[in-house]
Amino acid sequence: MVLELHKPRPIWQIMFSTHHTDVGLLYLITSLAFMFMGGALALILRLELFAPGTQVIADSMTYNRIFTVHGTTLIFLFILPSASAFGNYLVPIMVRYKDMAYPKLNAIAFWMIPPAGALIWLGFADFTWYAYPTYSVISAPGPAADMWIFGLKILGVSSILGSINFIVTIMKCKHPDLPLSKMPLLAWAYLTSSLITVVAVPTFAAALLMLLTDRLGASGFFNPLMGGDPIAYQHLFWFTFHPEVYILVIPAIGFMYEIFPRFSRKPIFSHGSGVTAFVLLALVGFASWAHHMYATGMSFTEKTVFMVGTLAAVPASAMHTFNFLATMWGGRIKFATPIMWAVGGIALFFSAGAGGVVNSAMPLDFITHDSYWVVGHFHLFVMGTILFGTVGFVYYMFPYITGRMYNEMWGKVHFILSFVGTVMVFFTQHILGLFGMPRRIYDYPPIPEWVQMNIIISIGAFIIGISMAIFLANLIYSSAKGKPADMDDPFGLGGKYYYPYQAKNPHH
Amino acid sequence: MKAIIGLGMVLGLLMILPAIQYALAAGDEPGEYLDRRVEIWGLFYRLMIVAFTVGTVVSGMIVWLVLRFRESNPKANPTSYEESGTW
Repeated sequence: MVLELHKPRPIWQIMFSTHHTDVGLLYLITSLAFMFMGGALALILRLELFAPGTQVIADSMTYNRIFTVHGTTLIFLFILPSASAFGNYLVPIMVRYKDMAYPKLNAIAFWMIPPAGALIWLGFADFTWYAYPTYSVISAPGPAADMWIFGLKILGVSSILGSINFIVTIMKCKHPDLPLSKMPLLAWAYLTSSLITVVAVPTFAAALLMLLTDRLGASGFFNPLMGGDPIAYQHLFWFTFHPEVYILVIPAIGFMYEIFPRFSRKPIFSHGSGVTAFVLLALVGFASWAHHMYATGMSFTEKTVFMVGTLAAVPASAMHTFNFLATMWGGRIKFATPIMWAVGGIALFFSAGAGGVVNSAMPLDFITHDSYWVVGHFHLFVMGTILFGTVGFVYYMFPYITGRMYNEMWGKVHFILSFVGTVMVFFTQHILGLFGMPRRIYDYPPIPEWVQMNIIISIGAFIIGISMAIFLANLIYSSAKGKPADMDDPFGLGGKYYYPYQAKNPHH
Repeated sequence: MKAIIGLGMVLGLLMILPAIQYALAAGDEPGEYLDRRVEIWGLFYRLMIVAFTVGTVVSGMIVWLVLRFRESNPKANPTSYEESGTW
């Protein structure tokens, strides 16, 4: 582990390093910066939707631009890089190797992210994070849309390079004395999510190229005026991005597999079921993409297949939840900040999953489709599970990365405010959807129920905003002036953990 | 024993499959009036009852686990793994 504040180095040494912990640190700082930026955009959106009529955003085009960059930033520039951050830190240590298999490729994969982020933020496209044709092909204004496409292209290449690196590091560089069956579950999480990435992402890479050539008028794959089919884009998109849900969530579950046993002071209940559930999720992730497209006129048989494929994820998710609860059972749990986030994460994971079962039932999907129910559902999943797991792990890794402790009280305040805010925002959005409010709208009529619920949602969003400001202040202050951490046992849990946190792979 | 289990499974499937087919084909019965809105909302509420029931059990379990096994609980004891110092 690097103790940056104990042994400070010039920043350029870290920036141009290919060492796995340095690259991990760069990934972490970048991803957190984008998290705060994307979150700030969400607050602007919620300010606009606080009440009917124009509030702070001048027109619908600007709203759509903010909306697009919010989603793109948080998915591609926060969640994915934050997972890579901790993977870089821990995977080589967990498989007992000196670094990632290809250190230079690792650094290149990271350095693709800032230019891609710059393209997305400087362009500020307006066709939402999925860029559906026909709008994206025919009407979306350039160069913003083209910059978005190039940005996503670069991020896709970065993800694939990073994933290849994880797969090779785990499969080829793992210590011979460490069988896969004994490998920590977090490393398993990286192996499965990397395999999904390598299979899923190239499809979207192809779709982006086709979209670009369509925009240039050189082809008409998705342009109905040239005989193309816009629905084909949706299939290509969701073939990548439903598995992407698992690419995002599997590392977060892996983080929880680190946190629960450590703070419960007992081993994970079942290593085997955790591995099985990861592999099952990786497989069924590819059997459910078209549940996003029930309303596109698919046949009854197709919809049935994808409904069953979607429901197949339930047993695997339940295995993880059971594993976490069974690990806590009989433990002596120290409720420090990381495990509070992890416990909150499973509670919200379950709620998001229950909403997902409703969405996946095709008759019910027609009443929730394109309504705020869907917004509530996927945000509950992305924020309630993935962000909660990730933020919990940021707290968990903080002493190992900086050599200092974060402020425990403010960490808990951060959790409580975030949990309350998340419930206020995303549970209410489910109900708002049932009341018929469509998603992706800039303004809405003054229907009393809609107005009341939008006010609740916006207040919840501001609570989350305050909690994130506390988080940022805690990170900055504690990394500079926090108490020095006991590096053998920063959380006062006792015992030796099952892999050496003190491992320091020599810098190179 | 295996044969009995196998036979039981086959018979079970033979009972379940027509029921599923009947349920799925309900909307296509000729001459039958079906208010899809009522049916769909009915299905929604039934699923919500299931979700809330299971949710209550899971959430209740989480709350109980958190309270019962917190280290500050008077009944909390060191786990067997703490003696060896490895978990």
